[in-house]
Amino acid sequence: MTRRSIQNLFFKTAVLFIILLGVTAVTAPLIVPYSPTDQDVSIRFSPPDTTHLMGTDNFGRDLFSRILFGSQSALIVGIVSTSIAVFIGMIIGLWAGLGSKISDSILMLLMDSLLSFPTILLAITVVSFFGYGLVQVMLAIGVIFSPVFARIVRAEALIIKTESFVEASRALGTPVFKRIFIHIIPNLLAKVIVQSTITFALAIVIEASLSYLGLGTQPPTPSWGLMLKDAKDYLIQAPWMAVYPGLVLAFTVFSFNIIGDTLSEKLNPRILKQ
Amino acid sequence: MIKRFTVALVLVLMLTIPGGAFANGEKEIKPLNFALSGNPDTLDPQATSGTLTFQVDKSIFDTLAEPDENGVIVPALAESWDVSEDSLVWTFHLRKGVKFHNGDTLSSADVKATFERIVDEKTASPNKKAFDVIKSISTPDNLTVVFTLDKPYAPFLGSIASGWGAILPKSLIDADHDFGSEPVGTGPYVMTEWVRDSKIVLSKNKDYWMVGYPKIDQINMNIIPESSVQMQGLVSGQLDIVYMVGNDDVPILEKSEDVKLVKGLTSLIMVMAINCSAAPFDNLKVRQALNYAIDKQKVLDTAYAGGKPIGTFMDYGNAYYKDFTNLYPYNPEKAKQLLKEAGVDLSREIKMYLPQNYPPHVKAGEMYQEMLTKVGLNVKIQMVDWSTWISDVYRKSQFDLTVIGHTGKLDPNGTLSGYGKGKYVQWNNDEAASLIEKAAVTMGYEERKALYDKALGIMAREVPFVYTGSSYRIQGFRKNIDGFRMTPNLDTFDFRWTNFK
Repeated sequence: MTRRSIQNLFFKTAVLFIILLGVTAVTAPLIVPYSPTDQDVSIRFSPPDTTHLMGTDNFGRDLFSRILFGSQSALIVGIVSTSIAVFIGMIIGLWAGLGSKISDSILMLLMDSLLSFPTILLAITVVSFFGYGLVQVMLAIGVIFSPVFARIVRAEALIIKTESFVEASRALGTPVFKRIFIHIIPNLLAKVIVQSTITFALAIVIEASLSYLGLGTQPPTPSWGLMLKDAKDYLIQAPWMAVYPGLVLAFTVFSFNIIGDTLSEKLNPRILKQ
Repeated sequence: MIKRFTVALVLVLMLTIPGGAFANGEKEIKPLNFALSGNPDTLDPQATSGTLTFQVDKSIFDTLAEPDENGVIVPALAESWDVSEDSLVWTFHLRKGVKFHNGDTLSSADVKATFERIVDEKTASPNKKAFDVIKSISTPDNLTVVFTLDKPYAPFLGSIASGWGAILPKSLIDADHDFGSEPVGTGPYVMTEWVRDSKIVLSKNKDYWMVGYPKIDQINMNIIPESSVQMQGLVSGQLDIVYMVGNDDVPILEKSEDVKLVKGLTSLIMVMAINCSAAPFDNLKVRQALNYAIDKQKVLDTAYAGGKPIGTFMDYGNAYYKDFTNLYPYNPEKAKQLLKEAGVDLSREIKMYLPQNYPPHVKAGEMYQEMLTKVGLNVKIQMVDWSTWISDVYRKSQFDLTVIGHTGKLDPNGTLSGYGKGKYVQWNNDEAASLIEKAAVTMGYEERKALYDKALGIMAREVPFVYTGSSYRIQGFRKNIDGFRMTPNLDTFDFRWTNFK
């Protein structure tokens, strides 16, 4: 097998896994074998078997059902915070790239100062300021990742606005907003999409980290990070409590990264030509 | 060439000889490694009511009197005391030649300054009430302190002997010293280092007034909130004592040959506190419903290390305990019915605040949440850190429900004082409040017991809490540890007798 075909196989597996995850998240209430929050202390710490595929946790809750439900919070965090980041980044990036020199300098200075903070630290700061919870976490992640998009959008906009077709459209008297929506945005979408898949994966990891620290999703809502937090008290008695959420989290992030990598090659005309 | 080689060889040898080999002359200090379950908010014994603070301060400070192993109050910094016939004048005779860690010698002026500081509004001590009864303090000589009280006050000796009765040096009080981060007392250990959220190092006070004590030179209080880390530390020998082993860890610890376990009932009152000031919990029926909805024994067995259910606000082993557990047995159907009768809007969101540095309370909270959900209530969990819990939940009553354990007190008044007149549960009941106040100024066990029985009965029926129970405590020790004591009713650690075998 060539390098390319291996990469293709990885890409297909990753896409399949994400689709599966998406379907699971949407249909979770219909397909889970048990309620994810129902406790039954008589069956605490049951190891994985045919009745409880991934075993049970310290309250006797079914881990398999909790992991399926956990995909909901993971994907919601990914979608919402990436959308926030793209939205803010797009506006600021376009403004900086197409606006005046002064607004460009000020906006980029702002974005760079945001970028200079370590991500998790900034997220913890934001969350401890606005209170613990999923909504705050999504907002924090969205804001924190917006500078990356602002940088990409600005760079692309600077190039595209000097292309001849944009110049021509301007000469023909097309209004500014129409020009932005028809000519500029479609041409920078490729890069934004690639960056989105990477941000998506990072957002899931950060949500899990914050939940692990007790700052994110609040119990008993199933979240992979929260499940790992519960598991750490029982690593010896019930290792399955840590293993399965950890594996699913790792696969999800890995898949998004593979998709991101592959897309960046496929959508980049410069690499394709080689 | 050879010379150069020799130099290199010597250098290499110097690098490989362990550093310890040169320090043979000094006596090696063997510290005791202890696990503390959280970072104290302050170490000023007058500034807080947090147990973690007193668990550390017990080794740094002394009190005039203290409870012994059996809970009997015995002399400490005071060698003896006399009480006048009318119980109004308490005269304490201080021990001679006791040194503070800063070199000051203990005198009656220090005692006077200490108690003046705690009742000073500026100190804002949560335990001020315990000493408000003091009318005047006089110091006839260097070693005699006379307290004159407003009224006969039975809990006075208990307050003097509790952690918040710690004696501070006058010179530092006058200098406005920050006792919160640099505590200075007369205690068996001197605090030499406090790395926030990591460890507190205590070194032996060589001038301690109990000759021959403490035994161990140094105690490292490692701040470790996670019980699994504590347990692994105990098994591997990195920790010598874990004072509270989780129920789920017992099977693993029992397998270890180097660890011994000791089980006993705590004086803790485990509760789910209810904020009675706001709807729907201002309605007695709703509070009763909460009590019916909770399977208390199940929570004790799963979240805590097992225990005895209590039906009222007094710990199970207390001499003033009275059994009311039959009032609201576990009965979810009855709970649903009561909620219906009360006409509660079930969709209204109820916030349950959990102190995230106490995993057992968090686990109990998750169980309460599930049981309350089953009777139809919409309960949302909100985790908070310890300082937020103290400042917002406890001091400002910003909560609907919360989960906590109240430590026992030397005198039942310490446990009950203030209830019926608000407190953090915002529960008002004039009859209970006046019974509790009356019991405080009544002398004699029988007389006081009769009053407390009535007050506890009201609290049991009116349920400003879900009274879960007094939990067991399983202590884990390395086999070579001997003589570790916990102060009865106060839940603090007494390392003076602790030693390596």
